[in-house]
Amino acid sequence: MGEVIVITSGKGGVGKTTSTANIGTGLAMMGKKVALIDTDIGLRNLDVVMGLENRIVYNLVDVVENNCRIKQALIKDKRYPNLYLLPSAQTKDKSAVTPEQMKKLTGDLRNEFDYILLDCPAGIEQGFKNAIAGADSALVVTTPEVSAVRDADRIIGLLEANDIGQTHLIVNRLRADMVKEGNMMSSDDVVEILAIDLIGIVPDDEHIVISTNNGEPLTGSDCQAGQAYMNISKRILGEDVPYLDLEVTKSFFQRFASIFKR
Amino acid sequence: MGETVVIKGTKSGITLVLNPDADYETLKKDVAAKFSDLTAFFGEAYKAISFKGHKLSDEQKMELINIIHENCKLSVLCIVEDDPEEEETFRQALENKLMEQENSSNTGQFYKGNLRSGQVLDVETSIIVIGDIKPGAKVISKGNVIVLGSLQGNVYAGAAGNPNAFVVALDMHPVQIRIADAIARSPDNPEKNIKKRRKNATHETKIAFLDKGNIYIEPLDKNVMPDIHL
Repeated sequence: MGEVIVITSGKGGVGKTTSTANIGTGLAMMGKKVALIDTDIGLRNLDVVMGLENRIVYNLVDVVENNCRIKQALIKDKRYPNLYLLPSAQTKDKSAVTPEQMKKLTGDLRNEFDYILLDCPAGIEQGFKNAIAGADSALVVTTPEVSAVRDADRIIGLLEANDIGQTHLIVNRLRADMVKEGNMMSSDDVVEILAIDLIGIVPDDEHIVISTNNGEPLTGSDCQAGQAYMNISKRILGEDVPYLDLEVTKSFFQRFASIFKR
Repeated sequence: MGETVVIKGTKSGITLVLNPDADYETLKKDVAAKFSDLTAFFGEAYKAISFKGHKLSDEQKMELINIIHENCKLSVLCIVEDDPEEEETFRQALENKLMEQENSSNTGQFYKGNLRSGQVLDVETSIIVIGDIKPGAKVISKGNVIVLGSLQGNVYAGAAGNPNAFVVALDMHPVQIRIADAIARSPDNPEKNIKKRRKNATHETKIAFLDKGNIYIEPLDKNVMPDIHL
């Protein structure tokens, strides 16, 4: 029986879709059979981040309305044969699907897959309710900004009210240099406010921008964000992985030198 | 077997087997119920239909077809009388009807404006779009699609199954092109660097057409003219 995990945040733009793509890729790299479901009906983009947009024929709404079978709508990833994407519809809106239908869908996929990751839309309306309906556990993504943390807090409350068992926290786009200077909340600060278990810290990394532009998740590559996402995937599988050292250990001279190296 | 109405489906037609003992009023009700249950299954298909079992007058047949139309999105194009070579008759009758539709696709209409992500333009005839079709937008036509602008989205020409349908765009960079039963998608890794990608992008008028089940995209010049069939 597979596990259904919803990736949510409340606030938009904090990295739900990027996290879904990268964690899904990480789990698939470790040999798990993974399905990613984009539940953001009307504003789909997980397919773009995964670089699978040109393969879409059927989508989530087609499956729910019985226009096609689940297997016809699942798109196999370019690089990992045990990673699949169920894209969302672009021409419908959130009301095209009900929580009951999502529950049935995730229930059907459970028999086939080890992990089912649901990319939740921003907000707390219908789309959010659909996404959490079939979920066993949740990953809450936030950036170390007051607005994002505030929304994450609201989301955690709603998840608890809906009996989603475990919720774990991902602190995304952390900048160690700013934390050091006291201009940004540290991951410890965020954990203290939200009072749930941390499962990963992802640094602000320009490689993420490149990776999303190219439609290839960067999990497992040797940049910091790639390692951070790999570690999160491992922790989901129950491995005990130490947190990355995100300290920027460049001395004044090293920085000076790196300017000229470019 | 208390069923009064049984639906038997083939690829291009359906047979309604009606219980000869049931009275007409019950049959009407049961047909309505059956088809409204199967709305999703049939979708917006075109089918030929035949009736079996119960003797029906022409008026009654028409009434039943109207009931079908009211209860699902299926379009019954013609009634076929009982025939041993049923499937063949179905197929021919259906094809003739579809060909009629395809011929009507030699007429066209215009659309002015950009189509953005999430917008769908669905037309019965050929269509000329004056504007761009952006990624995530879709044009569906039973005939040909001409884009006087940039085609970066999805386009479906010959949607009723016309293999001679084609797509022309001033700037051809579609995500997906479908013509009749064939489907083609854009290549995966054009160029990683965005600046270089923009630099390498061609702005050439191209045509996409179907040949032996494959979709080809070629510059629109005199060499492809023999491949275009209206």
